[in-house]
Amino acid sequence: MSIIDSLLYHWNVNILSHSLLRLNIWLRAEISRASWKSKYLAPPLKISWLNKDLVTRHWLRGHYANQRHKVAWVTSGAPTELLKALDYFIVYPENHAAICGTARVAVDIMSVAEEAGYSQDICSYARTDFGTLLSGKTPVGKLPRPDLLLACTNICQTVLFWYRVLARHFNIPLIVIDTPFVYHSEATEHALQFVLRQLEQAIPVAEQVAGKSLQERKLKEVGRLSKMATELWLEIIERNQHQPAPISVIDQFIQMAPIVEMRGDAETVDFYAAMLKEVDERIANGIGAVKGEKKRLLWDNLPIWYRLRYLAEFLGENGVAIVASTYTNAWGELARYYDVERGLESLALACIYVILNRSTGHKLKTMQRMIEEYHLDGVILHSDRSCKPYSIGQMDQRDRLIREFEKPALLLEADHNDFRCFAEQQVANRLAAFVEMLER
Amino acid sequence: MTAENAVLIPRRSEVASAFKQQGGLVAAVLPIHYPRALLLAFNILPMEVWGPPRVDVSLGSAHLQPYVCSVVRNALSFILGGGLDVADLIMVPHACDSLQGLGSILLDFLPPKQPVIPFYLPRGGSQQGEVFFAEELRFLYQRLEEIAGISPSNETIMKSIQWEEVADELLARLHKQRGRLQFKDHDFYRLIRTREYLPAEDFIDIAQSIFDADYEGQQEGIPIILSGIVPEPMGLLKTISEFGARVVADDLACCGRRLYPAGRSEDPFFRMAERILGGPPDWCRGSPIQDRLDHLHRMIDATDARGVIFYNVKFCEPELFDLPDLRQGLGDLGVPTVSIEVDISDPLSSQATTRIEAFFEMIR
Repeated sequence: MSIIDSLLYHWNVNILSHSLLRLNIWLRAEISRASWKSKYLAPPLKISWLNKDLVTRHWLRGHYANQRHKVAWVTSGAPTELLKALDYFIVYPENHAAICGTARVAVDIMSVAEEAGYSQDICSYARTDFGTLLSGKTPVGKLPRPDLLLACTNICQTVLFWYRVLARHFNIPLIVIDTPFVYHSEATEHALQFVLRQLEQAIPVAEQVAGKSLQERKLKEVGRLSKMATELWLEIIERNQHQPAPISVIDQFIQMAPIVEMRGDAETVDFYAAMLKEVDERIANGIGAVKGEKKRLLWDNLPIWYRLRYLAEFLGENGVAIVASTYTNAWGELARYYDVERGLESLALACIYVILNRSTGHKLKTMQRMIEEYHLDGVILHSDRSCKPYSIGQMDQRDRLIREFEKPALLLEADHNDFRCFAEQQVANRLAAFVEMLER
Repeated sequence: MTAENAVLIPRRSEVASAFKQQGGLVAAVLPIHYPRALLLAFNILPMEVWGPPRVDVSLGSAHLQPYVCSVVRNALSFILGGGLDVADLIMVPHACDSLQGLGSILLDFLPPKQPVIPFYLPRGGSQQGEVFFAEELRFLYQRLEEIAGISPSNETIMKSIQWEEVADELLARLHKQRGRLQFKDHDFYRLIRTREYLPAEDFIDIAQSIFDADYEGQQEGIPIILSGIVPEPMGLLKTISEFGARVVADDLACCGRRLYPAGRSEDPFFRMAERILGGPPDWCRGSPIQDRLDHLHRMIDATDARGVIFYNVKFCEPELFDLPDLRQGLGDLGVPTVSIEVDISDPLSSQATTRIEAFFEMIR
């Protein structure tokens, strides 16, 4: 890195983002809170600006990352602690795609991939990612070029197909951590050993690309921070067992970026500690995410990124709060597997026991548990066209929820990133009918 | 004499009944890769279920969203409609997210009368994958022991593997020499797809009888390669012949991607693992796209194929991910390609037929 580049980096990342940008984000958040007019929803969390600041700085660092770090693109269920400990700058293409979805630019970007031959029947995150690769279009300025790819099949097989395309595009090494699907209550011993061996084999590859050796002390430190952040996240979402729920799942979707893409960083721990404090303040002051909360729901599957506000307002208007989600819960429930002293073994457990790597029956049990613990009145199952592993099984899960648990359950057809699959009027009608049913 | 006249292809239901009458069991097996030899060592006949087409899909549609492929939807419909009642067990290899989901809902929500046995095929091609898969097969052995009530020895399994290796070697020869066999494509694929349900010994007899017969001449027609999952509806192959083309090689999941090499290991479980994982490149084992492209190049070089038809099942995400790179890679070499998408429940659409015809016009 030249002296000029280094100065530019420090100006942009450490000075600009730490002062001017930060101030700007803070001011905008304060103005937004002060001018908050919703009759039905509580204003955004005060710490929202901090989240925005963290995410903005992350992408700003990403802009210069290739000059200062080795860069790894990873899947959201991957054991990134290994790479963090080797000082990689981590990019989650799924997170980037979600940002594009929230900013409502995803369809414009993914259409570039579709023109290049990628079918509308493949995951809309992948299409968004390919669209950015082919066009350079992105709301985050620039994605750093990866030196290494890490795909873990614990969230879907799609990531493997997706990352094979990336590996060919960039002509760089792809580490695959393959996690045998857990059809029954426990993973087999040989499946656990398989994951563990792959983690062991991944280290020399990652070291070679990084040009440095993995230090056990560093890995432990990253692992410790990961565990702390995950535990805090779990505590935050469990606070929603309180009635009224202090935050909605929509808030969780917005605030989850750091736990996904900055797990293992000290500032992520600080952020979630601050968030927990604010959530507790809300509870102490009797503030609910939905004013006059009447009904409480569970959300299953990924968010519909481009319609978060619409959903929050539509339901909030009817006194309905979505207070729990199998998706946001997934980032917290693994906390128990992280054990710094057990090193790779605990990473293997955390990899294999992700909800998406477990059976359809396990997911139903998770929903049942959450219904009880969070005192829920019904369930919305987002049938996500782009996420088959999460969605297959939902039709029977819905039937069981209705028949066995006597909870109203709605299957909502959409897509997490492609608004062309969201039939607004149809969704509105179905939601209205569902809300009416809840009130009976 | 033509090969077509020489071969009497037995029907699946007849083969299953005959096998059961002799005291054997039948396993319905979903796509793609599985240890045939292990099942047969337990005197269990694998009967593969690639869909099938022409079933009442409303049964499956009550449990699967519209964006799940027809191979999986039809299989579930077939199971729920009693079409697999002849089977004593249902085996669901983990090939993709949709088959994963099917295996899981069969276990958790829609248990059929037979036991359901899923198993996992490792991705990524590492040596650890082979070790894991051998262990997974041992695990499978224990499940089959419970169902069949017998415990075949390593020697018995090895013998079964050797039969499979002979059958696969003959299958590979059939693929390679298809040009001099006087079969039309439709009949050739009916013949080689008997591998989906015939015991190895019976397939060997049929294949051997074809090689023993005396054939003359070379088949005519525009040479093309077929890539995809399964040539259903089989009317596709008749269409190809009618338009004056012929399939000279394939990269189909149910056919060419399962030309497994002979194994080397003395341990039967490792040998089965290395055979299955050592097959031609495909996404199901996590092969790099470049390996698939190189494999297609080699097939084109060996057969002088003039083009490739990518014949994909609608919503088959794994195939769709590879498609743009494969088409571009072939295009860079001057090999024309066309992509056709089908639902295996439907007959070949006139739109698809027109596109195939136009493609042949272009490469003629």
